[in-house]
Amino acid sequence: MSSLTLDNRRRAATDRVMRAVLLLGTIVALIPLILVIWYLLKKGLGAWSWDFFTTDPTGNFLGNQGGIKSALLGTIEMVALASIIAIPFGWGVALYLVEFGKESRFASLVRYFVDVMTGVPSIVFGLFIYVTLVLGGWLGSSFAAWKGSIALALLMLPVVTRAAEVVLLLVPNSLREAAMALGTPRWRVVVKVVMPTALPGLITGSLLAVARAAGETAPLLFTATIVNGTTFNLGERMNSLPVQIYTDVGSPNDQLVQRAWGAALALVVLILLTTIVARLASRRSRLS
Amino acid sequence: MNDPRTSMDDPTTAPSSADDPRDILAAGAAAPPPRTGAPHEPVRKAPGISVTGLHAYYGANHAIRDVSLEYAPNRVTAMIDPSGCGKSTVLRCLNRMHEEIPGARAEGTVLLDDEDIYASNVDVVAVRRAIGMVFQKPNPFPTMSIFDNVAAGLKLNGVKGVDLKERVEQSLHRAGLWAEVKDRLGSPGIGLSGGQQQRLCIARTIAVQPEVILMDEPCSALDPIATLKIEELIQELKESFTIVIVTHNMQQAARVADTTAFFLLGELIEHAATETIFQNPGDERTEQYVTGKFG
Amino acid sequence: MPNSRQQFTEELASVEVQALGGLDLVCAQIDRVLEALEHQDVELAAMVIANDDLIDGRYLEVHQRLLGLLALQAPVAGDLRVVAALLHVMKNIERMGDQCVNIAKTIPLTGHEPPVHAEVLERILRMGRAARWEVTQCKMAFAGRDVAMAEDLLQKDREINQLNREIFQLAIDIGTDPDTREWAMHMVMVARAIERIGDNAVDVGEQTAFIVTGLFREFSDSSHPASAA
Repeated sequence: MSSLTLDNRRRAATDRVMRAVLLLGTIVALIPLILVIWYLLKKGLGAWSWDFFTTDPTGNFLGNQGGIKSALLGTIEMVALASIIAIPFGWGVALYLVEFGKESRFASLVRYFVDVMTGVPSIVFGLFIYVTLVLGGWLGSSFAAWKGSIALALLMLPVVTRAAEVVLLLVPNSLREAAMALGTPRWRVVVKVVMPTALPGLITGSLLAVARAAGETAPLLFTATIVNGTTFNLGERMNSLPVQIYTDVGSPNDQLVQRAWGAALALVVLILLTTIVARLASRRSRLS
Repeated sequence: MNDPRTSMDDPTTAPSSADDPRDILAAGAAAPPPRTGAPHEPVRKAPGISVTGLHAYYGANHAIRDVSLEYAPNRVTAMIDPSGCGKSTVLRCLNRMHEEIPGARAEGTVLLDDEDIYASNVDVVAVRRAIGMVFQKPNPFPTMSIFDNVAAGLKLNGVKGVDLKERVEQSLHRAGLWAEVKDRLGSPGIGLSGGQQQRLCIARTIAVQPEVILMDEPCSALDPIATLKIEELIQELKESFTIVIVTHNMQQAARVADTTAFFLLGELIEHAATETIFQNPGDERTEQYVTGKFG
Repeated sequence: MPNSRQQFTEELASVEVQALGGLDLVCAQIDRVLEALEHQDVELAAMVIANDDLIDGRYLEVHQRLLGLLALQAPVAGDLRVVAALLHVMKNIERMGDQCVNIAKTIPLTGHEPPVHAEVLERILRMGRAARWEVTQCKMAFAGRDVAMAEDLLQKDREINQLNREIFQLAIDIGTDPDTREWAMHMVMVARAIERIGDNAVDVGEQTAFIVTGLFREFSDSSHPASAA
């Protein structure tokens, strides 16, 4: 049976070469990621201290610059509000597309527009809110944190919708059929069977959107801008990490630059923690 | 002198003394008595289903043409079909699941004990509570425990005034699963084997106390032992329900069903006692299919 | 392991009981026909002929049930052998019944006061009782799947064959009286019928061995007389 051994060595060699090429490509792709993490840690850890997290930036150029407390809290507040707006809407649109709209023309149109929205640059959302809400002077002062949240929510919406739609489509149709065959009305099938089954995936998808929103600078520049003090009033200007970093990194003062790196590291860690907490929560919601 | 009749030793079958032997053969083929032993009263009288002039469409495709047949109460009726999905389509028309497919519709009269389920004022949800369905691939709800799965039909529909624990236990008993799961009712439904999952789905279906159970190839995803267990279960269930089973396995129809309906290309070709279909079918096409000469 | 084909097993057992019940019917027929022979009872003989319908009816019913089992349950292995054996056995039972009828038919032919030759009649009755014993024995052997018991049938059958030959010889030497000779001819045919009943019982024994061993083997082959008796 000579055909079994023919070309064996050549094929094995090709196999090894391809593996090496793919491995090399992976390493090349990982290098920037590793560099970023390394840089962050190297330059940012130095800035971290108790004061760093517990004091507001003072706005002084010289002397005590303060920490990033208001920026940190501001990011948390604004992103939380944006999530509260975007996630329910996003899930709602996805549910409509998957459960009710399906292949109808209207649903296809909605899908198309959602796809377009994912590609819109974040600065455009910021400008949109700026023109409509800020310049219009709605509800008190021009610049307000809640306006920033809306800009972030617009940014998050298509991402949440797309990810949720994918996850909902993954729920096997046999589960819906089983529930319907038991004599369950459609909406109950969706709420009590489809959503609990899809929940882990829905949460993961929403996290992507949260992570993106936490790191966006441009929308906040025009809407919430920057302020030094910590505030819990969403109707006023609010500080945020990306904007703080943006302001500090260009400064000639090295300490401010280092504060920027520390803030960047803090932002990455914040997103990481959010991811871990949400993953743990979704795992507990499923039976182990 | 002994009366020859008193030396009979088999009381259940009446001996035919002076009958024409041909009458015996004819009698066996006429009405469908239950295949298990002597006729007796069922545990719970279930209604039959009467179908007249059923047509079903997938968009423009006229899939089912003018089907009329009777599903006898407390009996198992099998539907076999070599040509694809005709039998499943008919099955799904019986609990109005067919219309859930986009673009699909059905016309005709389907009487559940004198009520037409296709009448305009009929609540589809109520139809499905009276006519339950078990699917080909076992589909327990993955996020629910065994207990919750069985109770799902009641919980999902907010049924009040029912002792859930009792109903779940009763349903699991009747599905032949109680002994195997009684100590782990809280563990996830998807942790069971394939055969157990399917019996769990059967328990879930009977927990809402339907009158008819539809089964769409319930054993095709299971191993032979699990299949035989479910076939035995079906024989017990027909004491309380009317059962319609779709199967592509002819031997299963032969083992399990009281009457068998043979479909081809969307039409009903023949519906008779299973014994007749497999011993002496009336239609040539039926004969070709059951002897495996089709195609 | 729990039986997951409970129904099928029960149905098969029930059919077997009904089939073997036919052997009881045959025993009853043999008893009656022997009594009719002994006492020249024409009415009893008529009853035997009428009762053969019961055996024929039993045959048809069992046959129908067996076909049903084959069509609906697809028996294999041991179950298949049982079904095949029962088909054969029912045929044997039906033949045994027919032989009883054949014997019964000769009784009215011999007239009301036939010249009975005691030696011949005595052997006929002995043959008949031996055949009846064989029928009971083959039923027990089949029901108990007892191959040894089935093989024992051959011993008795040889006795019957021996008696058959003796009767034949006696008939040849019976003398010149035409009435007696006529009666003796009928008795030869009766003896032959009884001998056939014995053979059928041995066939039932062979089916028993087939079920147990899976091999069909004739206990004795009449075409090879050297191996018999």
